Amino acid sequence: MHIAVLAKVVPDYEVPSMDFELSNGRAHERFSRMMGLYDENAIETGIQLKDKTGSSLTLISYGLDSDVQFLRKGVAMGADKLVLVKGTSDDAAVIAQNIKQAVEHLGDVDLILAGQQSADMDRGVVPGILAQMLGAAFVPQVGYIESAADQWKVSQMTATGRRELEFNGLGVLSITSIPENVPRIPAVRAIFGAKKKPVVKLDGIDQGKMALAEISVEIPKIESVCEFIDAEDPNEAVKTLLSRLTEERYI
Amino acid sequence: MKTLIIENIDLKKIGELMTVSRLFCDTPDIIALGDGEIPGSFGRAWQSAATVSANLVVPITQLIQQEGYEVILMSVSTLGTGLAGPLSAALSAPVITEVTAIHPDMVVDRPVYGGKAIIKYKIESTPSLLTIRRKYFEPEALAGTTPSVPLETGDEKVTLVSEKIEQTEGIPLEDAAVIVSGGRGMGDPENFALLQEMADLLNGAVGASRGAVDEGWASPTRQIGQTGKIVAPDVYFAVGISGASQHLAGIANSKCVVGINKDEEANIFNRARFGIVSDYKKIVPLLTQAIREDR
Ligand SMILES: Cc1cc2nc3c(=O)[nH]c(=O)nc-3n(C[C@H](O)[C@H](O)[C@H](O)COP(=O)(O)OP(=O)(O)OC[C@H]3O[C@@H](n4cnc5c(N)ncnc54)[C@H](O)[C@@H]3O)c2cc1C
Ligand SMILES: Nc1ncnc2c1ncn2[C@@H]1O[C@H](COP(=O)(O)O)[C@@H](O)[C@H]1O
Repeated sequence: MHIAVLAKVVPDYEVPSMDFELSNGRAHERFSRMMGLYDENAIETGIQLKDKTGSSLTLISYGLDSDVQFLRKGVAMGADKLVLVKGTSDDAAVIAQNIKQAVEHLGDVDLILAGQQSADMDRGVVPGILAQMLGAAFVPQVGYIESAADQWKVSQMTATGRRELEFNGLGVLSITSIPENVPRIPAVRAIFGAKKKPVVKLDGIDQGKMALAEISVEIPKIESVCEFIDAEDPNEAVKTLLSRLTEERYI
Repeated sequence: MKTLIIENIDLKKIGELMTVSRLFCDTPDIIALGDGEIPGSFGRAWQSAATVSANLVVPITQLIQQEGYEVILMSVSTLGTGLAGPLSAALSAPVITEVTAIHPDMVVDRPVYGGKAIIKYKIESTPSLLTIRRKYFEPEALAGTTPSVPLETGDEKVTLVSEKIEQTEGIPLEDAAVIVSGGRGMGDPENFALLQEMADLLNGAVGASRGAVDEGWASPTRQIGQTGKIVAPDVYFAVGISGASQHLAGIANSKCVVGINKDEEANIFNRARFGIVSDYKKIVPLLTQAIREDR
């Protein structure tokens, strides 16, 4: 069995709003780059499934040559190889088209895992587009996966609880975070080993853009109006807080 | 413009999408999913008990093509997210998810970078698909009901084996006027009971950050933020929560945020109206006691 996990390298998503800056409508290039948070959950889920089923696991990314160094973390976590499709588009349809190319290049993929959202565009739409392009089923917000006979049993974490779903054939699942898929920290030995794992690079295609024109990207103004309540005497502090909340009619 | 709403039978979600639809048309049509009567007055209505998105892509694609819909509205939810990508590919239609504002001439806003920036797009072709972030549009009060015809769904790609709805006592997070939320700074699951006690006294609900959910201290259904629930309470208490932009994205429309954090540099204080820099263990029990005495 062959599992593919989609991972995207993004600008540091932990930069606080106050320090955030744009250049040419994108996060400033001075911010360091890292793998998307949900993509790491997807890799962790993939590795656990790989270990249970004796599968192989390939990371697929569409991005820059220089992203490979950050994607190696995923290899060190336990992936067998990496396919990078080279390109710079932010268009979800173009990205999906390029990832489809990598899936077809691999030829024998049985299951595709993705993050619930990329940690820059935050849209959760690429995996569903890819699924439709491949004629595969798309299931979002998946927490747990089990393989049974020729079926996949998956749990979808919804706003109100949990659904157990089954399907067979190729599926694209977007993975959400659960305590069981908190990404492992690769051991030093694995980090060195990752440098020897194969990296396949494919040239991307820049076609099939959606009919959307980007008009502007702006940073919303934040006005900080925090009134700090002195906590020297905690009893006094909570009384002050309550009276301020009541005065301003919040409670 | 010819507008179609696709939504589960849910008063608030349909109400919000109805409000949005008025920006595009007088009366929208609807595909309503799940059991029960369709609330509100629609031009035409289709209904199916099926709610698994993968099984709805084919029939909905056909219907959109047949009827020539120009704008398709869904909310950000398991259903909307499940449909947005596949429908976009099936219809070669532009899709914008997590929409927070709509301007004239098909210009829409959505947040990126965890809400640290806003992108404006102009949609240049129809049909187009939008998923609308919850709590950004006032739900219209829906009067009456609309009779429907069945939406034929055909073969199932994905089988729904079972569904477990979590039993939560008290007020749902989305409707709560007061939310007391805990983060990784809570330190352990037992201490969430302190937050529950405080929330109960204020007739509120308990929420959590992704940090606390990852630790297993709170159920994923309690997560607040851009990939959790979007809430808009009068007062939001953030206890031991650092205030990452992705968390703040879920409380953008809260009226008053109170940050309780031992780190004075924590980002939550850039969003909070009131801040207490302290170990929450010193503050929350006293606060709970003071609220009790106040009643
Ligand atoms: C695409 C994407 C989507 C995301 N979606 C969400 C989302 O929906 N919701 C969400 O919450 N996060 C989300 N995140 C994650 C987010 O970036 C943060 O990692 C997360 O919110 C951190 O949780 P936290 O504040 O509980 O933990 P931490 O960042 O670890 O903060 C803990 C805080 O507790 C304080 N503290 C510690 N001990 C005490 C004490 N005794 N008393 C008082 N204070 C104390 C610390 O000073 C610190 O500020 C998302 C991230 C990405 C990339
Ligand atoms: N450039 C990319 N390379 C690899 N995977 C991607 C890329 N863009 C998106 N994805 C995958 O699709 C998920 C959702 O992305 P998005 O639709 O941009 O929110 C991400 O978490 C990734 O798993």
